[in-house]
Amino acid sequence: MFPMSRLILIGVVLLPAFQPLSAEAPMAKMSMPKESAETSVRNLPPMPDNLPVWLTNKRKNHIFYKQGRYNFDIYNIPKLAYDLNAVAVGHAMAYEDLVTGKAGTLDTATFDRINWVLKHPPKLMPDEAAISPTFGRRYGVLEQVFDWTHVLHAQTVDVLASIKLTPEEKDREIEALWKYYVDKVPYAVTGLPMNMAFLDGQPYSMTFREKYPKVNGLFWGYHWLQGAMYDMLSGVTLPQQKAAYDVQGDRYHKTELYRTNRPFMPMFAETSPQFALKYPHLANAFDNLHMLHDMVNDILASDWIPAPEKEKQIQRAIWLVSAQAHQGEKPGDVKEEGSMHDHRFMVGMPGMGLMKHGDEEVMWMDGMGWMSMADCHHCSMELPQGKDAWKASTVTAEGWTMRVRCPLCARDMSAETKGRAILHIPTEDPRKTLLVISDDAGNLHTENPGAFFIEQESSHRKCHRWSQAFSSRQALDRYLSDHPDSKDTKVVSFAQWAELHGKKPDTYIKPVGPHGPENPYEKKGME
Amino acid sequence: MKRFLLVAGLWLAGSVAFAVDHNNIDAGRPLSFDDAEAIAYRERAVEFGAKLVSPHEKSLGAAGALEFLYGFARDSHVSLDLDPSWGARAGSDEERFDIGNVAVGLFHNFNREVKNLPAFALRGDVFLPTGRNTGGADIRLRGIMSKTVQQYSHLHLNIDSTFVSDPDPGERNVIPALTLGWSRPIGYPRVFTRTLVAEAGVRSSDLNGSGPIASLGVGLRQQMTVRSVMDVGVRSDVIGGRSAPRDNVAVIVGYSVGF
Repeated sequence: MFPMSRLILIGVVLLPAFQPLSAEAPMAKMSMPKESAETSVRNLPPMPDNLPVWLTNKRKNHIFYKQGRYNFDIYNIPKLAYDLNAVAVGHAMAYEDLVTGKAGTLDTATFDRINWVLKHPPKLMPDEAAISPTFGRRYGVLEQVFDWTHVLHAQTVDVLASIKLTPEEKDREIEALWKYYVDKVPYAVTGLPMNMAFLDGQPYSMTFREKYPKVNGLFWGYHWLQGAMYDMLSGVTLPQQKAAYDVQGDRYHKTELYRTNRPFMPMFAETSPQFALKYPHLANAFDNLHMLHDMVNDILASDWIPAPEKEKQIQRAIWLVSAQAHQGEKPGDVKEEGSMHDHRFMVGMPGMGLMKHGDEEVMWMDGMGWMSMADCHHCSMELPQGKDAWKASTVTAEGWTMRVRCPLCARDMSAETKGRAILHIPTEDPRKTLLVISDDAGNLHTENPGAFFIEQESSHRKCHRWSQAFSSRQALDRYLSDHPDSKDTKVVSFAQWAELHGKKPDTYIKPVGPHGPENPYEKKGME
Repeated sequence: MKRFLLVAGLWLAGSVAFAVDHNNIDAGRPLSFDDAEAIAYRERAVEFGAKLVSPHEKSLGAAGALEFLYGFARDSHVSLDLDPSWGARAGSDEERFDIGNVAVGLFHNFNREVKNLPAFALRGDVFLPTGRNTGGADIRLRGIMSKTVQQYSHLHLNIDSTFVSDPDPGERNVIPALTLGWSRPIGYPRVFTRTLVAEAGVRSSDLNGSGPIASLGVGLRQQMTVRSVMDVGVRSDVIGGRSAPRDNVAVIVGYSVGF
């Protein structure tokens, strides 16, 4: 005999046993603030009125990713796929240690643990929630926001890495993924440009980067990779993607992960400007997500904030960047300058909100100084926009990616940089981008040595006309027959072109910041 | 006796399963308990399983499992499963192939774990009398509570009640059961693809007067690809009355794919 009453009795005996074993109880003690709650709360921004109920939901809300034949095609580029897997581990380990009383060794023991994983990246994407269970129980809604936007990250990269989709299908699918992302849940991150000075100007801002510079460097290194991979993968073939990641992956592992001197998190338009121009809503959403990471890090690292208030401030941070909070607003809208609803963007770059210390015309770009997003970074001439945006080349070097106006600008700019560089040079066909890689000595290599160029150097006012690339001799000949006025233009093979070096552009103007040429981050102590 | 087939099917051969991730614990894959998490909304999963069993005082037998799951709403899924068997089996003198009872299930998760609040879920399964010598549809209700302990370990309490619609003489019409499952990812902080599982359970025998049956099990779930998990396990009904139909040991292997 084993009646139900006995089973119930066993259950009653077992249930309380769950409680003392919980990891929650000791954590609360470890999160005690240094200052009094009264003082701390007084300095914090108030919670917005009428916050939606989803911000406090207790459901799992696990939604499957959009079905598609491209899913997991990032594994076509195994090195990149594995590195992205390691990124997930790094985030989760740091968050778990932050909320389980191990913040004191975040920049030592935790850093070492994460670093081992980064050097030995897992071949399969780990379950972040399983690595950070305590963090998930405490900040489950935040985890939902992170996860959902990470799914968008993963699937858009799968599309770009796919060899099953045509370029046109890729364009359509990326937009479909965006629609799926914003339509299916209430906790999507807004695709509007946000004022970064506002988001990074909270009472707790910059705490994490100052207390834990090495782990913060890892976080920003991850975000650098998550941004840089988009232009690296766009518009080129799988072999080109792999060749480009040999360069970018090397940079990521040797430099970007370990930088502790960045003045600001890497922005999408600094690392993938072509993608940010083409899909500004995605670029903005990813930047806003990364800024949410920074805000959460800062809140968690601020000992002066009482634990219950940390939860509220994290809810507020989620709300600030949520799509729902900005419903009906458009890029360029400004309810109040420098506020939550300031959606101005950089001229020539709708995929980037206003940056700290900058204005709509210029921003301070780490390693480059004051920059305009609308103009060629080599000759200062206006860059193509709209449907012609693809006609700009890009140069990737030293951790940044810049749009430039012509192949000459790309080549000569890469020659001025240190280390290896990647040049994306458009040809007559948007589907046949020429990928050129510069080695440490400045020697240029391509997988399409049959490419040809015209280069009749003159004033850079028309460099986009006299400097052009073609995927083949036949394509060049067609161009010349269609443009009789170009019959005397200098024609060079790739090998010849690679040996050329132009004059200093006659049109170059060094941009200056709103308050002078100095680095505003140094001047103002990284405010 | 035929009821043992139902109970054994519920416990061993894998009824409804969860998301295809090594950390999400599926009933039957490889042990008998569920965690409180439903598969994702719009996720589909197929799970295959096979086991070799040594029924008490009988020769060897084998059983299979085939399941399909679909997340039809947030935190909810439906399931369809089939558990065929071959050779000797506990609770029956039958040794011919039996397609088994087709089960249709519904699973709903009420909440995720929030701070010290465990995750709770409820599932119900209807077992249609498609197997040999069965009659009437049986219903099982299972309450599930999952709770994290000691940071990375999880306990999963499953409380079952199976309602038998057409019991034979001497058989119970309500069969209670309780299982305490445990899971823990192993290999951290260097390996992220493996979860160890174990369980201890007690259930009423399906025969009046034959006493409870206690069981133990241990298993491993290994992520194989981004979409699939392999599982292996061993279970034993370690304690049971002389007449209670039970398995001395069962060796289980399975493979699950989500898509």
